[in-house]
Amino acid sequence: MDKSLRTSTYTNTGLSRRSFLKASALSSGGLLLSVALPGCTAIGMKNQGMVSAGEWQSNAWLRIDTDNRITFILDRVEMGQGTYTGLVTLLAEELEVDPALVQVEFAGVGSAYDNPLYKLQITGGSTSVASSFKRIRLAGASAREMLKQAAAQVWALENTSTLHCDNGQVIHSNGKTLSYGELASIAATFAVPEDTALKSPDEYRYIGKYNKRLDALQKVTGQAVYGVDVELPGMLYAVISRAPAFGGTVKNLDSSAAKAASGVVDVFPLKAAGRSGVAVVARSYWQARKAQQLLQIEWQTPEVAPSSDAIFAQYARDLDNEDGEQVRDDGDFDAAAEQAASTLTAEYQLPYLAHATLEPQNCVVKADADGMEVWAPTQSASMARVAAGKHSRYSLDDIVIHTTWIGGGFGRRILQDYVAECAVIADRLQQPVKLIWNREEDTAHDWYRPASLHRLQATIGADGKASGWQHRIAHPKVFEWFVGDAAPAQYPFMPKLMFPMLAGAGKLGEGILAPKDSSGYEGANDVPYALGNIDVRFIHSEPGVPVGYWRSVGFSHNGFVTESFIDELAHQQKQDPLNFRLELLAQHPRAQSLLRRVAQLADWGRPLPGCHQGVAIHKSFNTWVAQIADVQVEGKTFSVKRVVCAVDCGQAVNPDMIRAQMEGGINFALTAALYGNITLKDGAVQQSNFHDYALLRMPEAPQIVVDIADNQYDPTGVGEPGVPPLAPAVANALFAATGQRLRRLPLQLA
Amino acid sequence: MIRLTVNGVEHTLDVEGDTPLLWVVRDVLGLKGSKFGCGAGLCGACTMHLNGQPIRTCIMPLSAVAGQNITTIEGLSPANATPQQLTPVQQAWLELNVPQCGYCQSGQIMAATALLASNPNPSDADIDNAMSGNICRCGTYPRIRSAIHKAAGMMSAAVSHPQAARNGELFSEVTLPQATNSEELSHG
Repeated sequence: MDKSLRTSTYTNTGLSRRSFLKASALSSGGLLLSVALPGCTAIGMKNQGMVSAGEWQSNAWLRIDTDNRITFILDRVEMGQGTYTGLVTLLAEELEVDPALVQVEFAGVGSAYDNPLYKLQITGGSTSVASSFKRIRLAGASAREMLKQAAAQVWALENTSTLHCDNGQVIHSNGKTLSYGELASIAATFAVPEDTALKSPDEYRYIGKYNKRLDALQKVTGQAVYGVDVELPGMLYAVISRAPAFGGTVKNLDSSAAKAASGVVDVFPLKAAGRSGVAVVARSYWQARKAQQLLQIEWQTPEVAPSSDAIFAQYARDLDNEDGEQVRDDGDFDAAAEQAASTLTAEYQLPYLAHATLEPQNCVVKADADGMEVWAPTQSASMARVAAGKHSRYSLDDIVIHTTWIGGGFGRRILQDYVAECAVIADRLQQPVKLIWNREEDTAHDWYRPASLHRLQATIGADGKASGWQHRIAHPKVFEWFVGDAAPAQYPFMPKLMFPMLAGAGKLGEGILAPKDSSGYEGANDVPYALGNIDVRFIHSEPGVPVGYWRSVGFSHNGFVTESFIDELAHQQKQDPLNFRLELLAQHPRAQSLLRRVAQLADWGRPLPGCHQGVAIHKSFNTWVAQIADVQVEGKTFSVKRVVCAVDCGQAVNPDMIRAQMEGGINFALTAALYGNITLKDGAVQQSNFHDYALLRMPEAPQIVVDIADNQYDPTGVGEPGVPPLAPAVANALFAATGQRLRRLPLQLA
Repeated sequence: MIRLTVNGVEHTLDVEGDTPLLWVVRDVLGLKGSKFGCGAGLCGACTMHLNGQPIRTCIMPLSAVAGQNITTIEGLSPANATPQQLTPVQQAWLELNVPQCGYCQSGQIMAATALLASNPNPSDADIDNAMSGNICRCGTYPRIRSAIHKAAGMMSAAVSHPQAARNGELFSEVTLPQATNSEELSHG
């Protein structure tokens, strides 16, 4: 292993501590350490937003109270991905406390812990632990050193050399102890030290070892409060009938029967987050649902109301006619094509997918003369505030966002339409309101993983060897559907009338003010194989269907396409698919060793009885994941019996959390491989509930074996990278079993 | 007025009889642990026990269960329970770190509890049958399966060693799924 990389994990990297840590005293006594963590990346806008961040902005707070309570207040949200446990583990490691003793609170926006210059904050992109790895440990270490300095002052010592910390106490070599609570007020009078060393990996007590899930107890007793569980005194319940076709509007409405129904308070048309509908507000949820059935609505179908066939035809036309944007250009693919003895071509097609979070979209809003308060299971409190502001009379300064536990995110809750809708309703009624979507509404009005069409060509030279790779992708830009709330969220001090301008500037600024939208081609432009001449092109094609970020984003489709096509090429070359990959990955030793490991664990070449094996490896969010699927075919049906998964995410922080994310990612991806298919007719989604948008169930869930590479590179993401390799591993196994190359998802044998 | 006993407490409710039991328990009685997922009996997030049997409460009208005994996730163990006060199923869930987002887990635990009450030593096929109505979008199925086997083991140990079970000794050993070595993988 490279020694320089190893040492970089625990030496000071030139990051000035004063640039992201500040200490202050609590008014109640005690220490407050404010921390500026890097933002989540990989979703359109990078760490510091569209403008360069000059000023200091805290977004995490370590609080030590005089009664020994240790609280870590975070702007990240917990959707099941284990962020809560991961970040606390990092803090506790250096602070020398049991992670279970650290209480976590969600910061929200507009709360006491909010910074007035707060910028875009999103939990997504599998980045929370990765981006915060150093800063949170430095925060814990700094607090620990300040507590030692406080103890030295109490004991009248010249320095802290005879002191160490353990279990929430500063301990003198003579045996005397003082608790952190006793020292917190004094510690707050010291400046943040500049030269605290972090532990070396061989000193870790919790990192790489801590396997208790800190949120499990409240989730096995039903005590965790999700968005849909929030309740306020005098709260009303709202439901909304939305135009079935995207962009549809209310042409005629007869609400007389609904208004007369039991418990109904109000019925009215509304438009929020680009969707038109009719809201029904009642004293109970069930009364609202029953009254909704009595609405007589005639919808105006929009001019553009595409069906699935037309969308794929549009993609094909655009692939026929447009060169698109070149996003990878190695060597000279055109020359390789001219000189090729033969070529291999293929077309891959992937559908729209819904997120299908088990907790449907919902929101609670209280609006009155004092301002607006929002409780929402959102992945971005700052964007939720913009959505609430845009859709109400309140200015951002008067809006507070509370985040809750989240019943599945997967990218769905980066968009804020449920907040926008509930803000409209509460602003009108001036009473607390809970909006709940039902499953049918949630399935039909998502921001979908985009459908895409891919054309690939591999060239084979006169020597019979692969000489070039071309991948052309027709796909919309997710960024354009997201920027409306995201751009203003970066400038919360701007008047609301500027929001459309900011959204427009955000769109135009893609690649200039904001990073490029790589959601169409990520995982394709960085194809890792040494194929000499590589040409990857992105053809922007916009069907007008709302799209969003779906667990693993562009890697979710490009992982399937590249790992299936490389398998096709291996078979064309009459090579073992695993060895073929190994040979072409000489530049990626970590990937090679992962492939060897997964092959060893799965006993590559010796499938389970009655099964065939397929392999895939893909890097996403800086994490390599290799998987081998053992698949059994019976006639036209098949079942995945076992998936062996090897992951290299650098230093493991909570190994069991990583295993859980790989297991979850595999089963999430298997749902897409077996079933996932959102189709459109006349602009409306045809699926509604779990009978026609099926999710994986217990009997279909394979045995899963996870192996984590043991190294001390900086940690990388784990929430999403388990997803991309699964579908190609299964498809490649199906080819091995049947000779059928399946180039569409969901996978269906002929 | 409709009478209903929930977690041993009798209630007299002035609620329209066609209201699904789920919304009565959540919004009238304030027990929010049971969740709304599909409204069609397809996902199991709303699972409660009716006289010990698991039912889908999002499609069960209140009038259909009038006078009956209902148990919810809140009725399994005391409020603010310590890990030692949890049921074996909850303990196993906790020790194997089953929940991710956690939204489906009340329903999963109610379904698993009912399974183990009628079948103390279920096979994998029994688990597939009993749990196939409960969706977990986070994909925690392998751990749910392991946790059911573990809970079954804890319950049978508790029957043969009641004193140890009371002291929490049987539940203290934390065994987490470990990376498996190749020689341990079964090839049938």
